[in-house]
Amino acid sequence: MKRYLLLFLFVIFVVTPSAEARIYLDINAPTFVQIPIILAKWKSADKTSSPFSEKVYEILKNDLTLSGFFKVIDAQHLPPPLREKEGIPDMSSLQEWAPGGGEILLAGETLVESNGLDFKLTFHLYDLVDQKHLVGKQYEGPLQTVRSAVHRMADEVVLQITGERGVQNTKIAYTVRQGESKEIYIADFDGANVKRLTQNQSINLSPAWAPDGKKIAFTSYLRRNPDLYLIGVDGKNLQLFSRYPGLNVSPSWSPDGKKIALMMGMEGKSDIYLIDTNGGNPKKLTKGYGNEASPTWSPDGERIAFVSDRSGSPQIYIMARDGSNARRLTFEGSYNTKPSWSPKGDRIAFCARAGGHYDISTIGTDGSGLRSLTSSSGNNESPCWSPDGRYIAFSSTRTGASKIYIMNDNGLNQRGLTSSKGGEGSPAWSRRFD
Amino acid sequence: MTKKSFILIFFILCFGLLMMGCPKKTMMKEEPSIKQEEAAKAERAKEAKAKEQFEKSLVAKQTPGVAGEVFESALLKDIHFDFDKYDIRPSDGAILKENAALLKKYTNLKVQIEGHCDERGTVEYNLALGERRANRTKDYLVSLGVSPDHVSTISYGKEKPLDAGHNETAWAKNRRAHTIVTAK
Repeated sequence: MKRYLLLFLFVIFVVTPSAEARIYLDINAPTFVQIPIILAKWKSADKTSSPFSEKVYEILKNDLTLSGFFKVIDAQHLPPPLREKEGIPDMSSLQEWAPGGGEILLAGETLVESNGLDFKLTFHLYDLVDQKHLVGKQYEGPLQTVRSAVHRMADEVVLQITGERGVQNTKIAYTVRQGESKEIYIADFDGANVKRLTQNQSINLSPAWAPDGKKIAFTSYLRRNPDLYLIGVDGKNLQLFSRYPGLNVSPSWSPDGKKIALMMGMEGKSDIYLIDTNGGNPKKLTKGYGNEASPTWSPDGERIAFVSDRSGSPQIYIMARDGSNARRLTFEGSYNTKPSWSPKGDRIAFCARAGGHYDISTIGTDGSGLRSLTSSSGNNESPCWSPDGRYIAFSSTRTGASKIYIMNDNGLNQRGLTSSKGGEGSPAWSRRFD
Repeated sequence: MTKKSFILIFFILCFGLLMMGCPKKTMMKEEPSIKQEEAAKAERAKEAKAKEQFEKSLVAKQTPGVAGEVFESALLKDIHFDFDKYDIRPSDGAILKENAALLKKYTNLKVQIEGHCDERGTVEYNLALGERRANRTKDYLVSLGVSPDHVSTISYGKEKPLDAGHNETAWAKNRRAHTIVTAK
């Protein structure tokens, strides 16, 4: 796939960041104030390609807005003398940007090589409060990889401001209802590049990325039984791999990619099982008479959170990976389902019913610090974490039809992923692709 | 023994033979057997008609994306469930008895019980609930004498609602166990 020509994309450090890196935004705080960042107009170094620099500018602006960490000040909203200022400023002129109202300045320029096939992007980031240069980088590559290059640039800006890279180069798989069928789609983090992965007119459910980001496990009713399949992210190599009688649903890959936890119905009710990635060696982990559902691994691969109604109502439980030491995690409310374990390890997101609505909550793995992140605006379901544990994707019916939304893990900055008509559900977040 | 006695015995035997060959008695024996035959014939006709009716009631159905066809019959009725429950409602026992009677009569039938849920709650938990509803229904049919080998189960969770509405009327219809015929 052309998008993965990124191997040919070179990053050149123009200036190395200072050794005493400062964290501008503590994203681990329960609430934070967005950092005001000025996006100066980008310069076209080759004069002929201003639509190209405008495209780069728009992708970058969107990425920084979507990150939720910034209050982006667009060049068009700057006072007149600053509005037209373009390209890389020199250090002595930084104070001129004071009327812009930003604490950080991002400036850059584009170049389309004379062969018309390759580009060069250069950006610099400045601290306007301390009058300091923070970082500068250059990206080169074939034109079809520009979107990925800008995402990497945005990741770098997020790293400088928050101390951790962003997730602009990630993808989200999800289901879309189409009449009686449900197909699996994939979109970029910014909602671009929407692609249909399955096209079989059957019911396809619960996509789950393999840790290597190359395959997706999902359930399909192609054989009139909910069986598990594997498919390449290019939509090729469909492979049936778990077809025990009854349920083979809700796959969750172990972090090392060697096992899959799933729901199976071999004994007439749903239990949590472990299988090998070729479908062999099924091992039942849950005991008793409850309905057991939705397994999710801890990032260290030692524990599994899941849903059980053994107490009379569906609640979240945690057990060791061999099925021992199961303990109940949630006690508030009478319907808590679909847990998703944060890649940081400390919290679990889940879907809770309150007052006839479904909302997304998170809770510490020790049962403390319960937080509700969506507040009864339609039904909010199926939470899943970004690979850096700073965002949660979920489905919501807040505008009528069910659509995928993304929010920061504190519930701020909720926004729709795509501009589709709806019918979307079951988001699953990939690893970083660079 | 005297001659008289011989004559008496002779007459008694003759009388006995006459009695045995009595046409009236033969008539009395044949009358109920003809009635039974007619009743059996009527019964067979009724059965044939019922079978024809049942066969007529089978409507072939294609499932998008799934190979092969299955059949649905209005005579194999749905049962319904309470929210987040999978117990058979006492009032639905009669429906399952009728379904079981059909399955015991037409032993070449293979059926699949589909467990369905309403749209509320997550996809996966509803799949677990649907699995239970289908299996509870199967167990009930088996307890009524249906061969377990002729009944399979499948859970569709909330993926195949009968009524697309977003209200209690629609939800009540959608929480159901539905029977399809996979072989006849």
